[in-house]
This record gives sequence, C-alpha cells and structure tokens, in this order.
Amino acid sequence: MACTFKGKVWVFGDNLDVDKEIIPFREREQGLMRDENYGKWVMTPVDPDFPKKVTKGDIMVVGTNMGCGHGHYEGIHGMNQLGISCVIAESVDRNFFKNSIDLGLPIIECEGVKQKVKEGDVLEVNLQDGKIKNLTNGGVLNFTPLPDFLLEILESGGLEPYITKQIAAGKL
Amino acid sequence: MGKTIVEKIMAKAAGKECVSPGEYLKFGIKDTFIQVGSDVGPRTIEAFEKLGWDRLWDPTKIIIAPEHCGSYSRTRDKVTNRESHRLNSEWARKMGVPEENILELGRIGNCHHLAIEKAWALPGGVYLHSDTHCPTVGGVGCFGVNLSAAETSFLRTGWMWFRVPKSIKFNVTGKLQDGVMGRDVLEYILSQIGPSGALYQVMEFTGPVMEKMSMDGRLSMCCLSVFTGAKLGIVNPDQKIINWFKARTKVHFEPQVSDPDAVYAKTYEYDGSKIEPQVVIPPNRHTVKNIKDVEGTQITTAFIGSCASGRDEDMRMAARILKGRKVNSKVMFNITPGSSQAMARVDKEGVISTLLDAGCFICAPGCGMCPGFYTPLAKNEVCIASSTTNSPGRMGEESAQVYLGSPATVAASAIEGKITDPRKYL
Repeated sequence: MACTFKGKVWVFGDNLDVDKEIIPFREREQGLMRDENYGKWVMTPVDPDFPKKVTKGDIMVVGTNMGCGHGHYEGIHGMNQLGISCVIAESVDRNFFKNSIDLGLPIIECEGVKQKVKEGDVLEVNLQDGKIKNLTNGGVLNFTPLPDFLLEILESGGLEPYITKQIAAGKL
Repeated sequence: MGKTIVEKIMAKAAGKECVSPGEYLKFGIKDTFIQVGSDVGPRTIEAFEKLGWDRLWDPTKIIIAPEHCGSYSRTRDKVTNRESHRLNSEWARKMGVPEENILELGRIGNCHHLAIEKAWALPGGVYLHSDTHCPTVGGVGCFGVNLSAAETSFLRTGWMWFRVPKSIKFNVTGKLQDGVMGRDVLEYILSQIGPSGALYQVMEFTGPVMEKMSMDGRLSMCCLSVFTGAKLGIVNPDQKIINWFKARTKVHFEPQVSDPDAVYAKTYEYDGSKIEPQVVIPPNRHTVKNIKDVEGTQITTAFIGSCASGRDEDMRMAARILKGRKVNSKVMFNITPGSSQAMARVDKEGVISTLLDAGCFICAPGCGMCPGFYTPLAKNEVCIASSTTNSPGRMGEESAQVYLGSPATVAASAIEGKITDPRKYL
C-alpha cells in the first residue's frame, strides 16, 4: 500500500452497524462465508448491488459512528477483498478503527467530509500529510495523520504481516 | 492536573508517568491473562500455521476455555464446537500452555464472567480478549478492551497498541426504585446521548446510585456501555470490589481511582430515582423506550444470560419474581447462568429450584441464546432478553424480533406472555 491513492467515492450514512448494515450477522454465523469471499456481502443490506458496482481503488465516505455495534471484522476483510482503498468517516467506532488498521485498511476520521464530498467524486488521499484533495470540485480537506508506527502497520498490510516482518528481521 | 482512572491504568501499564487523551501507546502487557475461546481458536491456530509463527509470547498467561459455545453441538466453519475445543487444547499443550489453564466443561462460563470469578481481570489492571464485551470488567475498575482482529498478534507478541480516550463522567444521583436495575440506568443513558454519544470515549459512572449498586449491576452497565460508541465503561472500585478479589487471588494488584480534579470531556447528571424500566425496541440497538410505551407486546421467548446478565443478582431477581408463580404456558424462558460458580452459589440459596419449579429452562453456563447458539429463535418469534444486542438474526432467524430489558423485566414478561413492568411483582 502506498501512502497516496486516488479513487471514486461511494457515500453511506451514519451508525453503520457491523452486523446489520455492513455484513448481515446471520450470514456470518451460518458460516456461509467460509470461502472467505466476504466481499460479496459488504453493505448489501443497504445496497444489494454494492459489491458488483464497486471497482478496485474506490473510496467509501461514511457518516458518524462508522462500524458501531460488535467488534466483528468480516466486513473489513470484505472491503479489502473488494479493493476499497480507504474509508473516510465523520467519526469511527473504536473497534472498527482498531480492526481496520490491524487488517491493513486505511481508515480516516475527517469531520465535515460528508458536506464536501458527493457520490462519484474522485479523491486523492495522502495518509502521511493528512490531506484529501477532491479532484472533482477542487476542494481540500485536512485530517490528523496516524503516527508513523501505525502507518507502518498499514503499509505492511496489517498487524500480522507487520509482526511477521519483525520476526524475519530478528526484532521479535 | 488530575487524571482519570483510565489514564492512570494506561500510564501504569505503559510504564509512563502520565498519558493524555489522543496519545497513541504501544506497550507489552505483563500481568494479563487472555482466554482463547472455542469459537475463535481454530482460526487462531490456522493463522499461526499460515504465518509460520511457532510460539506464544507467554504460555502461562493463555487460558483455553470452551466458553462462547462450549457444550452446544453447533458446527461453524465445518468444525463442531467439541472438535474445536479439542483442537484448541491440543494446540495449547503443544505450545506449552500449563494444564491448569486448559479448562473443560463444568468449570467454565461466559468468558467475562469467568474473568471476574477467576480474578484474571483485576482492579487497576488491563484485560484483553477477542470479544466485544471486554469492557464488562470496567465494573470492577479494570481496563478491558477488545482485541478483535489483533488477537493472534497479541498471542505471539504480548504487546498491543492503544489510543488514550477522553472520559465522560456520568453522575447518577438519588436512589433506584425497586425493580430498576443497573441495565436500566445504562439504557436510559443511551436513550439520552444516542448511539454515538460517547464515541471513542470512556463512560465513567459515578454518584450515589453507583456507590450503592452491586458489582453485578456495575458489570452489566459496563458490558453494555459499548452501544453508546464508548471504548469502555468503568466504575471506580470501592472496598467491596477490592474484597471480592482479595478473597480470590494472591496476585498483587493496585486499584486506581480518578483524581478529584481529573479532566472530563463532559459531565452528565441524572436523577436515578426517576429512571423507569427501559426496553430496547428492534431492529435498532439504540431505540430505547420507557416500559409503559411497550407494555402488552406479546412474546414467545424470554432469556436471561450472556455477559450482560446471568449473574447472581440477575438469577435472584428472576427467582424473587417467579417464586410461587409459573412461566406463561406459551413462553419458553431460557435462563443461562453466567458461570458454573454463579450457578452453584445461587443454587445454595434455592434460586435454581425456584426457577425450575416455575418452568424455566436452565441452560448450561455460558453465553446461552445471545449469539443464537442455544435454543435459537425460530421464524417470527418475539423475544425479550437481558442479553447484549438485537441485530436481526443475532439470536436466530432474521424474522425474529428481540426486545431487550432488565432481568426483572424479562422475568415479569415471561409470567404474563407479554412485555410487563416488573414493579407490579415486587
């Protein structure tokens, strides 16, 4: 993962619950996703065609309290599988925030993003500088960048690959 | 400048003088136990194999407990629960986990109940687990947070990263009415601040109501604190909490409490005397009503259990309401004790036989119906439960509806076959 990426926006609402809007709980529990193709379920309770419409590199812009409810993280695997390059939220639930970073999905908290970005806009995001450029309307949004060690975890593709690298380097 | 209980615990764990909200920390944790449940174990083993990791950070700190779905014969990921516990146990032995850390059925319960019973979560300590409801242990002044996707990494390394949250103080004054329980206080606060009202922050509960509240009530409130978006809920531990742990462990622990001049993002004041029994209405977790607005709703199933209830006080309350009465002929009432120890304790008081006489179904200690593992709800059933949440399909079929209320409300409703105010039975 590079620190800069560009993608087309899909907009969603507030309080997206991991078990209700992001991935239906029943599907998760039935083990129907054993093939690990979580991607085909992502956001389907809100937009049944979302997994088919989305293309690699697309960005999800969501409202407040993103990923609320339980700490289930199949939806994040699914977003990674669909090639979502990052999720930009007005605010993020603690579990969703931590799970996203630990699974290598860039997550950005940026208050006011929903007012400045519309569905279909193209954004250029720089994780290190904390800047979002809206290439469609020319606007710029700022956010507080993550500390370097978390960017390094994201760059490694998540916590597990990061630790594997550390082990290989003799640091663990 | 003063510090909150959570800032003090995090600073101590990180080996720092003090920490401030917004700060990111990465530190090794020496004195925590971590349970690996049968539901996540096989995935952990698979991950270790796939990643080529060959050892645990400290096998003596790992507990293997078939808790979430221990005795149920469910098959998940093509592995039955029994098989998954056997795989977990064998793997743990191979990795050097001591025999006394590998628990069998009959000696277990729901993971967070177990953490309190066994004093793995201590006042002033850090408690990690791969389950959402780790903050339950905030009820005893312990910093409990969910590892979720980071569990495997933690098992290998023993370190984790955290962001220091801001704290919000919830001061609950007055005195709760009989039949209004800790859970009602939390749901009432949720109704006031909404599902993101404490987003990424700590809910610190204080005031005369909290001082009087039992440990069981505090644990229940902290368990459910996550539904306001909170990172965790916590209560400053008092002498009765400290005594509970002193009687159970020889391990040294240092309880922390907030300084009088600690800094809070906000302070809310509520009059506990005015709080009515609260009911959460499906399908959203955050639609909360006073009981009078939903009284009379017909139910087919009632459930007390999970990390949100099933403690001594909850079972006693159910027995108090059901004594000399019967569960409605059309209702199945599943009561799942939180742990074998809790079940044994209340059994000595006659609670279990009262519940059996009333026609309750007493389920094996653990998580019970909450994640839909035991007696899952059939199509179109209507349930009132004192468990954690109500997302469609959570407790069985997606068409089933789950209302959430206190154990008192659940017990009263089970008698009448419809949602009922428990105060009339007390």
